[in-house]
Amino acid sequence: MTGAVPTIALVGNPNAGKSSLFNALTGARQKIANYPGVTVERKAGHASFADGRPISLIDLPGTYSLIPASPDEAVTRDVILGRQEGERQPDALIVVLDAANLDNHLCFALELIALGLPTVVALNMLDLAERDGLTLDPARLSKELGVPVVPTVAVRKRGMAELLGAVDEALRGAKPAAPIAQVPTPSDAALHSRARAISRAATLSETPVRRWTARVDAVVLHPVVGFLILLALMFVMFQAVYAWAGPPADALEAGVGVLQSWVVENIPQNFLRDLVVEGLLAGVGAVVVFLPQILILFLFILLLEASGYMTRAAFLMDGLMAKVGLSGRGFIPLLSSFACAVPGIMATRAIPDEKDRLTTILIAPLMTCSARLPVYALIIAAFIPNRGVGGTGIGLQGLVLFGLYLAGIVGALIVAFALRRTVAKGNAAGFMMEMPRYQMPQWRDVALGLWQRAWIFLRRAGTIIAMTTVVLWLLLTFPKAPPGESQVDYSVGGRIASGLEVVVKPIGFNHDIALALIPAMAAREVAVSAMATANAIDAGDDEEAMAETLGERLQGKWSLATALAFLAWFVFAPQCISTIAITRRETNGWKWPMFMVGYLFLLAYAAAGITYWTAVAFGLG
Amino acid sequence: MTALLDSAPLGVAVRIAGIDWSAMSEDEGRRLREFGLMEGVEITPLHRGSIFSRDPLALAVGRMRVIIRARQAAMISVESPVSEPAES
Ligand SMILES: Nc1nc2c(ncn2[C@@H]2O[C@H](COP(=O)(O)OP(=O)(O)OP(=O)(O)O)[C@@H](O)[C@H]2O)c(=O)[nH]1
Ligand SMILES: [Mg+2]
Repeated sequence: MTGAVPTIALVGNPNAGKSSLFNALTGARQKIANYPGVTVERKAGHASFADGRPISLIDLPGTYSLIPASPDEAVTRDVILGRQEGERQPDALIVVLDAANLDNHLCFALELIALGLPTVVALNMLDLAERDGLTLDPARLSKELGVPVVPTVAVRKRGMAELLGAVDEALRGAKPAAPIAQVPTPSDAALHSRARAISRAATLSETPVRRWTARVDAVVLHPVVGFLILLALMFVMFQAVYAWAGPPADALEAGVGVLQSWVVENIPQNFLRDLVVEGLLAGVGAVVVFLPQILILFLFILLLEASGYMTRAAFLMDGLMAKVGLSGRGFIPLLSSFACAVPGIMATRAIPDEKDRLTTILIAPLMTCSARLPVYALIIAAFIPNRGVGGTGIGLQGLVLFGLYLAGIVGALIVAFALRRTVAKGNAAGFMMEMPRYQMPQWRDVALGLWQRAWIFLRRAGTIIAMTTVVLWLLLTFPKAPPGESQVDYSVGGRIASGLEVVVKPIGFNHDIALALIPAMAAREVAVSAMATANAIDAGDDEEAMAETLGERLQGKWSLATALAFLAWFVFAPQCISTIAITRRETNGWKWPMFMVGYLFLLAYAAAGITYWTAVAFGLG
Repeated sequence: MTALLDSAPLGVAVRIAGIDWSAMSEDEGRRLREFGLMEGVEITPLHRGSIFSRDPLALAVGRMRVIIRARQAAMISVESPVSEPAES
């Protein structure tokens, strides 16, 4: 092994803190959250021993044994047993244990130790064990297990140097592993008894402490009260998106405006100036102003994930999910899809049943992802009055937003119901899941998560959204319209939109919308930047028109029925290219992504049509 | 006296008397055992159902909390942990 960089795999039960340890050791930024099944792929990172020799660390999905129940767990087995293609077996294992749940976690640890690889045990979450009134004896545990045991607190980076030191030691003493004939598995009763005996031996004292968490659960998991709390949480989340985002969003908007006027005043009119003012600043700027709202939404989701509430929500939703043939397990990826369907679809790897998983993938795009938020927010701000509902403090705009999210969820459940009876028929999905203890969210992880999200959003704005918008600007600028005619209508882009308008006119869509629909396939936010660019071109150098916000312009041009139809379209909006790509990867082929695009288009068209015709019938046309 | 776990009262510790492994799939049975649900183990049913249905069921198994479905709970028979030595 001299010369080669040793590979060390972090392995253990779900939610034991493997990714937290991985991040602490490598400085990586793997996703950490307080529910089982967060990590669904193998991730490698670099670290070094105290004397600077490099090592390669591997973070793995958590699992209960080497016999997998879901696709993510299969990855762990393949890596540990060296069956992963193009990769050798790890040189050593760090088995991560939750110190407060040794009875259970020791079972898998015993199975792993029996493999005969150099192994070190990280006795993690010692702080939580103390909170629960446990005093442990790591030395005794080490003696019982026959491998070194290092106490760690991953979130405080405690015990990291000792852990690496122990790994170094274990590697030095490594003999070629003797293949073991009969490795016990954690489903053996005998292994459980042994685990319990070791756990008892290593526990010095156990003081029963008042479990405030039990009292919290009595309320949070109460059949009626718990469900009301879940609804209230979602409701507050959407109210906050409006209530808190005002000042920072206004500041961003003003900033974009200042930049625009500065460019107009200081640079003589030419092709490039128009591109910057009409394409980049107006178009991309119109999207960037929604950053605060997206961050507020993410803050809520991150807090729910970090606190341990997510599995409680899954518990509460399981009954409803079961009625449409899914399980509470699927609620977690669906809730992540509020952020973005791509990680949501990845997270379905933790779902054991294949048909259950497929259905969850197919309905994930119906969850309102954050890319749709700018579209909703723009239209709502323009057409829904900013006032309370019936004299209460509840904002009407936030309520409409909540309604749109609910529409997506209800739509998803109905679609799931239909799919499970047709193309994704199968056994009733099971639901077996561990419920983690509540935790105070680690502010560092939350801040990091927010920062990552902000960065992803801005990068999208700077790349795909900016590029699509610039292409659209070119299409809308040429050929030059003769005086007196609308530049947008005369241009190539405008004419394409006029062609499309014929198809979407029946559902109430106008030229603006037709223009936005196709580029919005690249990224949904482009619907906003496309309309902003078209408006900026139409406004030209007219100072007064430029001062008007996009919302105000739309208000003057669209009927309420059209605006509502447009919102309804985006509830079911045929998804973006990255969603199609990830669906292809996760379902191994083109069949399901094509199916998904097809059914979403049909639903979007029907939903927009029904909304439009109903609104017109009520005199809102 | 034994009863089925899916109708056992909440908040009362019980001992698993038997599990009908043949009634469930192999994967299902394995995951139950991996959770530590096997004959002789003491568990406490804690929470049951939502406004939508009587499913699922949350249990305490040692220091661990696990969620299972009522269908699986119906395959697990339980007895009172104190009554066993006295009678039977
Ligand atoms: N108090 C405390 N919390 C910890 C410690 N290590 C991890 N956590 C928390 O435990 C939860 C799970 O941590 P992760 O690192 O995501 O666990 P994991 O083992 O990677 O989980 P999976 O990827 O789902 O298998 C998170 O809420 C962490 O903040 C620790 O030493 N002490
Ligand atoms: Mg992880």
